[in-house]
Amino acid sequence: MTAGHASAPPAPLRIGIMSFAHTHAAGYARLLRDQPGIEVRGSDPGPHPAAELRGRALAAQLGVGYCDSHAELMDWSPDAVLVTSENARHRPLAELAARGGAHILCEKPLATTRADGQAIVDAAAAAGVMLMMAYPVRFASAFTRLQADYAAGRLGELIAIRGANNGMLPAERAWFADPELAGGGALVDHVVHIADLIDALTGAEAVSVTAITSRRLHAGRAAAETAGLVLVSYDTGVSAAIDCSWSRPATAPTWGGLTLSVAGTLGTADADFFGPRSRGLDAATGRPLELPYGPDLDAALLATFLTAVRAGEQPQPDGAAGLRTLEIMLGAQLSARTAQTVTLATSVRGYPGGYDRI
Amino acid sequence: MPDCTAPRVGLVGAGTISHLHLPHLLRLGADVLVYAQAGAGELTAAYGGTVAGSLDELLSQVDIVDVATPTYTHYDVVRRALAAGQDVICEKPLARTSAEAAELTELAARAGRALYPAHVVRYFPEYVTLRAAIRAGRLGDLAVLRFYRSGAFPARTAWYADPELSGGIIVDQMIHDLDQARWLAGEVVRVSATWTRRPGPHPAEAAHVLLTHASGAISQASGIWGPPHLEFITGYAVAGTGGVLAHDSAAERRYVRDLAGPGPSGPVPGIDPAEDPYFLVLQDLISAIRHGNEPRTTAADGAQAVRIAAAAVTSAQSGQPVDLALEVPAP
Repeated sequence: MTAGHASAPPAPLRIGIMSFAHTHAAGYARLLRDQPGIEVRGSDPGPHPAAELRGRALAAQLGVGYCDSHAELMDWSPDAVLVTSENARHRPLAELAARGGAHILCEKPLATTRADGQAIVDAAAAAGVMLMMAYPVRFASAFTRLQADYAAGRLGELIAIRGANNGMLPAERAWFADPELAGGGALVDHVVHIADLIDALTGAEAVSVTAITSRRLHAGRAAAETAGLVLVSYDTGVSAAIDCSWSRPATAPTWGGLTLSVAGTLGTADADFFGPRSRGLDAATGRPLELPYGPDLDAALLATFLTAVRAGEQPQPDGAAGLRTLEIMLGAQLSARTAQTVTLATSVRGYPGGYDRI
Repeated sequence: MPDCTAPRVGLVGAGTISHLHLPHLLRLGADVLVYAQAGAGELTAAYGGTVAGSLDELLSQVDIVDVATPTYTHYDVVRRALAAGQDVICEKPLARTSAEAAELTELAARAGRALYPAHVVRYFPEYVTLRAAIRAGRLGDLAVLRFYRSGAFPARTAWYADPELSGGIIVDQMIHDLDQARWLAGEVVRVSATWTRRPGPHPAEAAHVLLTHASGAISQASGIWGPPHLEFITGYAVAGTGGVLAHDSAAERRYVRDLAGPGPSGPVPGIDPAEDPYFLVLQDLISAIRHGNEPRTTAADGAQAVRIAAAAVTSAQSGQPVDLALEVPAP
């Protein structure tokens, strides 16, 4: 440090990106790379599918540092890490990070089994590090407005919620179509976002889950469900219907979207978080030209995480939110398998929980 | 042999649906006799037609009966009309219970009379468009269908608020979308539902229903009866192997206005008078009765819709899915 300055600039924050398996890893890397006061390194040990740009080559393309192994990344003593591996591989990486004293931003879903999810939460708690879930839609201004309307009583008493999170079949990474690594299909991918928004909006406790699924879409590639409809009943008497289907055609002009409609005794509110766009036509093909716009919710998510890391204050959504939403997703999977409604037997908030199928 | 004389239609009831039906019956050239416990005079004064002094008097003077009474009376009125040898058009739901609907279907078949439920959504252009696209194969094999319908709690008369009389939102309102799901994706084998009721000064009701079709397709219907200002909105989003098709009545409008004063919140969604589905359904069903063409909605359709709705109510109450075995007729 140069003598004579009243205060030295703070040391750069070291952020590790554990695995580039999830497509969000590259987006996070770009956002972090462009910020002052942050050093970024990734670790993405192989083997990788031949068709995927991964590992050191991707780090070089992204312009971030690289470590050949996760252990080497932890030897660098990162202040915090992003866990962006395959869904089923979050646990060992999160445990490694916690042991190394790094705060954790975990890609959703928290895990693919209750045991893994609980182990991640326990590891963070034992190490005294913060665990945050990557649920970016919470940071949309439309959601803030929805929360304000609800909190002010303008919707009255809630009676029903309807959510749809429809996207394309994830194709950039082969593991999304591998039920072992992904933890399933469309239910794993898209139920938790809407479950988390309802959790953040209402604080209500999910008490039962019913799900039906289909593999008809993308049937040639479907090793698990590609479409799903889920009912979640809450302790307040409200119930939510969630469409988590990968029903957006691969040829669509944009990836898809997320909508949430909330109905109360005094009024309703509808949020279309990724809806606004300029619409036109491509003269050469006649295809729709759709140019969405809007703030980058991942940037807001990362800003919240980084602020929390610098301040040492636990941000939301935390690991408990990750567990509650995981429980709903696991309940949906069990319901789809058994064709029964699944009761979330013990309080999902007073985790650990378990199922009692009636 | 086409019958070119004016049809003699007996309209029973003078409530919301009668106000939607009577002008169209008259436009179709029918001689209309109206019987209602109350309001028949005001109804005929507004649109035309003649008031009958009793239901028996009406039944003795017409060829076709249009039953537009409250749901819980459909069974009795339809039975009397069939017994009097009439062909019958009945507002949906065909009956309050699945057993009643099945019995009416059976009675009509045995009497050799028509019994056609007025499932008017089958005549709304956006649903006709969806059906045509599916039939033409433009969506490929159907995988997942979503329907929604919301509007003000029907506070015009008290019986809607009593689930014993109306069946509640699932049997009264959502039955439109349950019928659509079956019309578009075929027979239903399993039903799951949730149903939320908030009686009181701000009455509201909501329900979600999940359907598994015999084809393997899955459907969701969501319905809301909310505050008095809530605009009547319907929509769908359907995905198949060949494409997706969606519609939201709030987004697709030919005329939008923003004027001083409160906006209207009626019992029906906005419709274009040039393709009024309440006219089209009566035109189709009366034509089917008089000329023998296949109507777009049959007694079996009406009974199946009630059966699915009743299963949804059972599921909402039991908290578990209800299996509808295809071959077992309604109890």
